[in-house]
Amino acid sequence: MKGDLHTARGRAWVRLDNASNIFLAARSDYDSKVFRFSAEMDREVDQALLQHALDHTYDRYPLYHAVLRRGIFWYYLQDSDLRPVAAEEDLYTCAPIYQPGRRNLLFRVVHHGRRISLEVFHALSDGTGALWFFTDLLEAYATLRATGELPAGNGGDEDESGGEGAGAGARVGNGVDVGVGERAGEGDQPRDRDLTRDSFAEYFFEPTKPLATRGAPPLLERRSWRGVFRPRGTRTPDHRMRVVELAMPSKQVIQLARAEGVSLTAYLTALFFESFRAGGLGNTPTLAASVPVNLRQFFPSTSARNFFATIRLTHTYSTNEGDGERAGEDDFGAVCRSLEAQLRAGANPDALEQKVRRLVRLERNLALRLVPRPVKDAFLRQMSRANNRGLSVAITNLGLVKFPDVAEAQVRRTLLHVAAVRPQFALISQGGVTTISFSSPFVETDHVREFARFLTERGVTVTVAATRVTEGELAEVARAGEHGPAERGPAEVTRAAV
Amino acid sequence: MRRCEACSVDIEGYWKTCPLCGESVRGTPVPSPFPDPPLRFSRRRLLKTLFVMSVLAVLASVAIQMVFREWFEGLGHRRFAWLGVITMWLVVLTAVRQRHNVVRGTLYWVVLVWLLAAYWDYFTGWEAWSVTYAIPIVATSALVALLIVTWGTRVEPGEHVVYSALAAVLGLVPAVFLVTGLVSDPWASALCVALSVVTLVVIAAVRGRHVRHEFRKRFDL
Repeated sequence: MKGDLHTARGRAWVRLDNASNIFLAARSDYDSKVFRFSAEMDREVDQALLQHALDHTYDRYPLYHAVLRRGIFWYYLQDSDLRPVAAEEDLYTCAPIYQPGRRNLLFRVVHHGRRISLEVFHALSDGTGALWFFTDLLEAYATLRATGELPAGNGGDEDESGGEGAGAGARVGNGVDVGVGERAGEGDQPRDRDLTRDSFAEYFFEPTKPLATRGAPPLLERRSWRGVFRPRGTRTPDHRMRVVELAMPSKQVIQLARAEGVSLTAYLTALFFESFRAGGLGNTPTLAASVPVNLRQFFPSTSARNFFATIRLTHTYSTNEGDGERAGEDDFGAVCRSLEAQLRAGANPDALEQKVRRLVRLERNLALRLVPRPVKDAFLRQMSRANNRGLSVAITNLGLVKFPDVAEAQVRRTLLHVAAVRPQFALISQGGVTTISFSSPFVETDHVREFARFLTERGVTVTVAATRVTEGELAEVARAGEHGPAERGPAEVTRAAV
Repeated sequence: MRRCEACSVDIEGYWKTCPLCGESVRGTPVPSPFPDPPLRFSRRRLLKTLFVMSVLAVLASVAIQMVFREWFEGLGHRRFAWLGVITMWLVVLTAVRQRHNVVRGTLYWVVLVWLLAAYWDYFTGWEAWSVTYAIPIVATSALVALLIVTWGTRVEPGEHVVYSALAAVLGLVPAVFLVTGLVSDPWASALCVALSVVTLVVIAAVRGRHVRHEFRKRFDL
């Protein structure tokens, strides 16, 4: 078998898994397919300590040693001797990591001011997998900071398959969310940090098991996407992403969702739809959101590689203002409940199993396996484009995250940025603070304004942080720099020295 | 921290205006959590540079052949290929630059194609096909196209009436060819002039007020 070749004959390698192939095919100048976890600490980050913590964590995650190579038929991940460097952040958020032909690591760790950020190319891992690495990194850093030593029971060269991760992991609970957030505290289970485990094959490849055909849509059906709203705008000058973060107390926003009797995901999705509706939908009254679902909650897996599927939530607004019959369906509360019902219907093991099984069987089809990789890429790219035409926005809810106590005490808030081909937001709650990070390839922030005002009008305390993307906005900081350090914070002073 | 009263939010970083609504903000700034790296490149500047460079290259090639005419006599039919390429390129550039105003873009096209046709005709032995056919037919087609665009789409009269009138005025130019006897076959020029006169009369009768208003506005001293 391939994949288990830690031998003298060559480097370990493994074929790229099912969900990861699409990230390579759909990667573009505008959409780097990179996501980022950031933790805002209680004080300035110490680069030396961070490097120490990174070295320690890196040694325990063979998967993160991987570089991406191109085979004739597939991409594959291959072990490497590279070492990561924790550096001062000098790029914009979610800048491209994978560049064809370059053998570099598929993640980076950077810091800026009080923030530690882990950026990961999505072909390597999904959010949950990366959060394990991030949690261990933060725990190591926080412990070093507090005691000067590396965490006990978390160090060295332990057996990779052992259960040493107990108690040290991120406990991701469903306290915030129903349906999408994790259910089980996987932190208590052993984790696979190796290259080898492909959970898609493990769970969904049973060549002899018949596929249920009833009710399942054909995989490559030509659906009509007429009427689906697709946000447009001015692209940023150098493909950097516009990110706007809204931070708020978790309690306040959860109360709002509870008042409507729906999950936070459904509530905020409805609000996202409403924000675009405020800007006018024209003759495309349908809003559709893509929502990734972590499959580990239904099919227990310890793989740190990609293991998720997406579901699609939609609502079609009435185009006729005076349409009395339909008026009730467009109420904010009604949209919330409709989305909640779709979420519950989509995020259950049976529905997901059928969906993923079909994809895996397609991947394992011998005829398709013999197709050269560039042709597969082109095909997947077309599939992704066709799929994009049916989507307005995307939403990621990572749910409630709890770091080990030593890290929890030092982290003020946690954020998740996701590179976006369309406006989207990513939600994460930690330490009583919920952060919603909007990302978009466009300069415009009108939908975020509507979103934020909706929340503040209902008594939520919102703090905004936004990246500068236009020439004018960046010139503003440069001009501020000319007025001397008195007007600037420590972060800008360091930058000026670069 | 700075605060935007319009959005009721606190803002991190040195924003002078709210990044959400553009209103001015108050309060003492706190450092931004992002490093704001300078632009790697600007798509807008890149496109502008490409545009200027390509137009300069086209103009240079036209000028060189004009000045050193005899050097290029040996080009023969290859000259047609070159003329075809530069014409296509300039027409595409005009279409891209003027995509937000179809009516004005059409006028640019008319003038551009006229000049290129005359130049082309001149360099390939002046058989007067440009003045006889190309120039009047292009002008007539543009007029018809503008009528369709302005009737078929919702363009405000103020937006298009001046350009339509200008197109009709351009359509009168072939009258000069007719009078001076430049043309070998008069029907195309005659048709063009007739249509232009009708258009001008209709515009003056139906949209006279708009035209006067627009002219007063645009030529306001």
